[in-house]
Amino acid sequence: MMPILNYALFTRLVRWQARLLLLFGLILSAPTWAHKASDSYLILNVQGADISGQWDIALRDIDFALGLDRDGNSEITWGELRARQSELAAWALGRLSLQRGGACALTLLSDQVDEHTDGQYAVLRISGSCPVASGPLDLNYRLLFDVDALHRGLLKLKLDGITQSAVLGPTTGVQQFQGGQASRLAQFVQYLGEGVWHIWIGFDHILFLLSLLLPAVLIHESRHWRGVGDFGTALREVLWVVTAFTAAHSITLTLAALRLVELPSRVVESAIAASVVLAALNNLMPVVERRRWIVAFVFGLIHGFGFASVLAELGLPQETLVLSLLGFNLGVEAGQLAIVAAFLPLAFWLRNTRFYRRGVFVGGSLLTLALAVVWLLERLFDLKLIGA
Amino acid sequence: MQLCLTKGATRHLVKGALLLFALVSVACAAPRTPSNETEVLERLPLRPADSTARELATLRATARQMPTNAQALVPLAQRYFDLAAARGDPRYLGYAEAVLQPLYATPTAEVLLVRGQLRQYRHDFDGALADFAAALALNPDLASAHAWRAAIYLVRMDNAAARKECTALQNLKRSTLLGGCLGLAQAYSGQLASAYATLAHTLTGASDVDNRLWLLTRMAEVAAWQGQPSLAERHYREALVISRDDVYLLAAWADFLLDNGRHNEVVKWLSDWSTSDSLLLRLTEAETTLKLPLAPRHQQAMADRFAAAQARGDTTHRAEEARFQLHLRGDTAKALQLASANYQVQREPRDARVLLEAAIAARDSTAAQGVRTWLRTSGFEDPRLRQLGQASVLPGAPPTQPTKTP
Repeated sequence: MMPILNYALFTRLVRWQARLLLLFGLILSAPTWAHKASDSYLILNVQGADISGQWDIALRDIDFALGLDRDGNSEITWGELRARQSELAAWALGRLSLQRGGACALTLLSDQVDEHTDGQYAVLRISGSCPVASGPLDLNYRLLFDVDALHRGLLKLKLDGITQSAVLGPTTGVQQFQGGQASRLAQFVQYLGEGVWHIWIGFDHILFLLSLLLPAVLIHESRHWRGVGDFGTALREVLWVVTAFTAAHSITLTLAALRLVELPSRVVESAIAASVVLAALNNLMPVVERRRWIVAFVFGLIHGFGFASVLAELGLPQETLVLSLLGFNLGVEAGQLAIVAAFLPLAFWLRNTRFYRRGVFVGGSLLTLALAVVWLLERLFDLKLIGA
Repeated sequence: MQLCLTKGATRHLVKGALLLFALVSVACAAPRTPSNETEVLERLPLRPADSTARELATLRATARQMPTNAQALVPLAQRYFDLAAARGDPRYLGYAEAVLQPLYATPTAEVLLVRGQLRQYRHDFDGALADFAAALALNPDLASAHAWRAAIYLVRMDNAAARKECTALQNLKRSTLLGGCLGLAQAYSGQLASAYATLAHTLTGASDVDNRLWLLTRMAEVAAWQGQPSLAERHYREALVISRDDVYLLAAWADFLLDNGRHNEVVKWLSDWSTSDSLLLRLTEAETTLKLPLAPRHQQAMADRFAAAQARGDTTHRAEEARFQLHLRGDTAKALQLASANYQVQREPRDARVLLEAAIAARDSTAAQGVRTWLRTSGFEDPRLRQLGQASVLPGAPPTQPTKTP
């Protein structure tokens, strides 16, 4: 069974964000929440008889129904929520039922929180199985309707590979969804989107690429950097690097997705961090200057394995395997091209400024190096150096 | 810990001159397991020791004892509704609705009265009018049903119907409600001087602080429409010293300050009120004009909230969203579409104004036709609105008043 959300990736992402904030000293003030009517966010992935998913319920709503604020100080702490985890799961489970050829057995695990526009939510992870692997799916949602008639469940359901959404209210809480063959185009488009999204949130991939691209608008001569003469030179360099990176990670992504080659994720993740370290280091103390595309290709092979682990956790539907893989890969390329399109004109424009050469090129590479060294140590030794 | 970098924060990165990292967009938050038991995840709007919370607890206890008794349930529902209105927090509307639901099979006049209020808050004006009519059929002396009906007719700019409700209030000898009703009906039909006099006279006989606050707010608005900013300001300040949570008052006061170029004061008054959508809009407008660092973050917060409202199919914020699109996003087409849709439902001066502004920005004279007709037939006197009305007739645009008949 494949989980619908990639938890490993997301928790990693959260840690990185925390670190980025620390690194740049970006202290944001505590959020003040909006007032809005109550919504829960229900994501369900039903693949045959297997059910997985996530259900986000506002802490304010849970408090209204169950009373979380034990000490009466109007603040809900993680401790107060954690003490009620099993009660919360039982309460929510009593208000959601699924049927596919009979009642599906569900379990809820509540050990995470997340934020939405109006505050913090408890995250309930759903898993379960149904008696039958095909046919329509019946859903009965009745959370909070007894105490809040304006509550709505915002459902995102992936049923046998097809994503559909619905707003579940007191009169629309009982619904039937039709299963069926995955529409090929919808599948392709969905994985294309996933590809774009995963390059966008994959900081290590982006930093690696940018580290290789930063010097593309510069030339190293007699121990000094100067700007390239014309845009064509920079563009050629960028195209070489990007093409090499793309070709390489496409190869390994495909090999890994088809399970022809498998590498331990710790090795892959550490090697990716090492690639960022080396790329940043190469900007500060140039070793490879002319043929950066070779570096891009060699390390691109490693990054491909990284993408593959993302894709594996997303779940590749067997019936549309090649199409989904192609969509994901093209999505990654599109995301990359968007980054290049934003980067290159700006970098070319600024290439002869001190700001670019000292601040962006040297300063950026230094920061990248620092961040990547931390990643490398953490991934090699399974440490947590900068706490989230 | 704030884990969600907004666009605003990303802009700080750019300003921080790190091209490299500016390109690394950071996704919004993701599920996490807090590491510290004492981490505060959420602050509830009420402390159990607050007087409001204690009052609610008492009402809830009574309701639990008599779960099908209208006399036990209606006060709780009414209290929830009042909280929703004062704090701009729609969750209380859902609570009120759930409290009343067991009584819908055989509703009393009081149940219908609260349900009508809930419906009008959600802009279901037809449903609300039906409830108030049914309530009055059961109890013809229910003055608040007349007052609420008047309020809905005024929002719809149906002055004749509103005045009938004022007459009903007169017959019931409810002088404060009558004064409010008549004062607004006069103001919206182009008699600002009599409107002001009516409201001022009503104020002398009003002792209830909530009524005084409401009357002072309306007097301030009328004074501002009359072009008397110092008088308006005096009344706003008189209302503000009553120091009750009142989203409507703060929104009107903020609009007054914005119109008079006093953006700094808007920030001062509203900085703690970003939880209310309508007040956050005014705050963000002021911050954007002053180029304050929080402006981009608040703009993003507004965009997120409108998206969240849309996800659940909520359309009650169209007037605010139109203003947001027009003043803060510069999307004139979207603003005009929202303002036009809103004007189909609500037609008070502020609704008219945002439609005129959007129509002018979008250079669409026809879209503002309805507002110009109202300005002409009602004689509404606010010079600012009249100027906008004239400006919305664009040079080269088709004539908006029928000059010839074929």
